[in-house]
Amino acid sequence: MAAAAQAPVVTQRANKPFYFNSESHLTRIGRERATNLAQLLEGLKSCPDASIFYHTFQTLREHHYIRGGFSNDFAQWTFAACNEAGLAERLASVDVRDFTSIQEIRERIAHTVESYLKANPAAGARPSFEPFYFCASETVVTPTPFVANTLPEFAEALQRVSLHSIHHHFITARLRPPLTRNDFSVWLEEELGLVSLAARLNRIDIYTSTLNDARQKILLLVQQEMNGGRP
Amino acid sequence: MSPRKAPLPNPALAVTSQPSSLPLTRPEGIPERRRTPRIPEAPPVPAPPARLEEYESIIGKPELDELRFLGSGLAGKTVKMVNSTAVGGGVAEILNRLVPLMNELEVRTKWEVITGGNDFFEVTKGFHNALHGAAYDLTQQALDVFLAYNEQNRQRMEFGEDLIAIHDPQPAALVRSKEASHARWIWRCHIDLSSPHPGVWDFLRPLVEQYDAAIFSSPSFTRQLGIPQYLFYPCIDPLSEKNKDLEESLLQKVCDDFGIDRSRPVVTQVSRFDRLKDPVGVVQAYKMVKKYVDCQLVLAGGGASDDPEGAVVLEEVKEAAGDDPDVIILNLPPWCALEVNALQRISTVVVQKSLKEGFGLTVTEALWKSKPVIAGAVGGIPTQVVHKLTGMLVHSVEGCAYQLRYLLTHPEFSQQLGKNGREHVKENFLITTNLKRWLVLFQILLGVAQPRGTT
Repeated sequence: MAAAAQAPVVTQRANKPFYFNSESHLTRIGRERATNLAQLLEGLKSCPDASIFYHTFQTLREHHYIRGGFSNDFAQWTFAACNEAGLAERLASVDVRDFTSIQEIRERIAHTVESYLKANPAAGARPSFEPFYFCASETVVTPTPFVANTLPEFAEALQRVSLHSIHHHFITARLRPPLTRNDFSVWLEEELGLVSLAARLNRIDIYTSTLNDARQKILLLVQQEMNGGRP
Repeated sequence: MSPRKAPLPNPALAVTSQPSSLPLTRPEGIPERRRTPRIPEAPPVPAPPARLEEYESIIGKPELDELRFLGSGLAGKTVKMVNSTAVGGGVAEILNRLVPLMNELEVRTKWEVITGGNDFFEVTKGFHNALHGAAYDLTQQALDVFLAYNEQNRQRMEFGEDLIAIHDPQPAALVRSKEASHARWIWRCHIDLSSPHPGVWDFLRPLVEQYDAAIFSSPSFTRQLGIPQYLFYPCIDPLSEKNKDLEESLLQKVCDDFGIDRSRPVVTQVSRFDRLKDPVGVVQAYKMVKKYVDCQLVLAGGGASDDPEGAVVLEEVKEAAGDDPDVIILNLPPWCALEVNALQRISTVVVQKSLKEGFGLTVTEALWKSKPVIAGAVGGIPTQVVHKLTGMLVHSVEGCAYQLRYLLTHPEFSQQLGKNGREHVKENFLITTNLKRWLVLFQILLGVAQPRGTT
C-alpha cells in the first residue's frame, strides 16, 4: 500500500478497481396523500422510508437538469401547491448530505413542518391547490462495462457513464456505509490515497449544480490532480 | 428572395415587443395561403418503426446498454400484451413501438387484440366515460355483455406466457384465466380513475384486485387498491413522424403551405376542436397579447370532420377569431403527424390551455422540441410543466395572455424553459424510459431482480 501511494498519480494502480454501476427505478404509488399541511405532517410520520428517500434523493435524479428551484418534493409542493414560501425555503434547506439515515431526514422534515404549523396554526387545514401523493422508489442496480484501475481510467469512464450512474455513486451512495460520503471519494482515498482530492469531490454542491455539472466538476478536479494541481 | 424564404434560426430569439399598429412588411401571398391552406389529402406511407440502436443518438450508449442489460436478465421469458384495438388511439400507438423494441431485446413479446361486437364496444365506451366520471345508466345487461365477450375472448386465447399485461378496462376480465396460468398478471390502466362512476368501479374493482400489480399514468389517476400500484408516465417516441428532427426545408414548406410568416412570432395550440381544450380561450388570450406583441396564432387540430360537436366548436373558434388574418385555423386529418411536428418546431411559444386533460401528450411533444410551453394546470400537465422551471402553468385566459406576453418578450427565459423541458422529457417521458420501466417491473415480478427501497 505504501509503495502504491508513492507512485506517480497517473500510473498508480488501485488494489481494488472501481466498478461503475448504474440504477434503474420504478415509482410505486403509495397509500398516503395530503391535501393540506397537517395531512402532509401525518404522512411524513407514517410513510415508509422508501417514500422519504424517493421525495428527497430521487427527485435529484428526476430533475437532475435543474439548477436552483426547490431541492426536494416536499419543499416544491409546499411552495407551489400551498403557497407557503417560508416553509418551502426551510424545507429546501434540508441537505441530504447532513444525515446518516432516512430516519434522521424524516425527523428533520417532520420537525420543520410541525414547528411551522405551531407558529402558523391556520396553515395546517388550508386546502392545497393539488394533493401531495406519497410515492416510493424500487431501485434495481445494474452493472456497466466501465471499470477503473487508475486515475486516468477513472476520468475516462466518468465521461462515458450515464447520469444515472453518477447519481448512484455520487448521491445515493451517501446513505450507504461509510455514511455521508460518495463512492468516488471513498475509492480515491482508500485505493489511491488521494485524500485531498476525495475531500474536494465530497464538497461539490449537488443542490446548485445539475448532475451533468457535477460530472464536469468532478472531472475538472481529477484532471487537475493528474496535472499536478495545475488547471 | 422573398422575406418568408429567410427563416429565422430561432424565432424565440428574434422576438421584440411591438404594437401591431406599427407598419410591418408582410410576406406576399400569405393571406391567400391562409384562406386555402395546402393540407395533405391522403395518408403518407407509414415509416417503419425505429430500431433500438437508432435511439443511441438520443439517449446515449450507456442508457442503451442498460436497456440491453435489463433485457438480458429476461432472456427466454415471454410476454403477452392485450388491448382492445390494433389501430387508432394512444394505447395502440405505444404498443406498436414498444412490442418490437421488447422483441429486439429478446424478451419475446406478443400483442393480441380482443374482439367484440358493436354491443360490446358500446358498453366499453359507456364504461370508459363513466370511469372518467360521466353519468351512466349501468344495467345488468351491460354487465352481461361485457362479461360475455371477455369470456368469449378468454376461451379463444391462451395464456402460457410468463407475463400478461392487460391494457385498460375492456379486457380486464381476462384475469379469470390467472389461476390456470403460471404467469404474473399486470393491469395497465391508461385512464383517469380519480372520480369513477361508483357502480362501474364496484364492478371492475374485484377483477382489478386479482392482478399482481397495476400501472397508472399519474398518482392522481389511482384508486386505493390491495395490489401494488406503479407509476408509468405516458410517453412519446422521439423517432416517430410526430417527433423526429425535421429538415429546415420541410419546416419552410409547411409554413408556405399554411401561410405562416416566420419573420414574426408564432403561438400555437395543437389539439382537437373540443371545448375542454378551450380553443376560444386561446383566441381571447391571443387578442389580449396582440395589442402589445405582433404575433400570429395557429390553432391546429382535428375532430371537426367526424365529430358533430367538433364542427360546432370549430365554428365558435372562427367566430372568436373574426377577420384577424393572423389567426390561422387548421382542421387537419389524422395523418398530418409531420405537419404537426413542423408546426410545433416553428412555434415561438406552444400553448395547451386545457380545462380538463388526460396526460396531455401534445405538451410532451412541445417540451421535447425545446419549446416554452404555457399550459392549463389540469390532469397530467403539472407533472410535465413544473411552473417556471419547465414551462408556465395558467388557470385563466388572463393568466395565459400575461404569460404569453412575458415569454414572447423574454427570449432568454423562454429558451431556458425549453431547454429544461426537453431534459424533463428525456428523463421521464420517452418510449425508451417506458421500455425500461416495463423491463424493471418484469424483473421484479419474476424475482429476477431484488429491488431496494432506499439505497
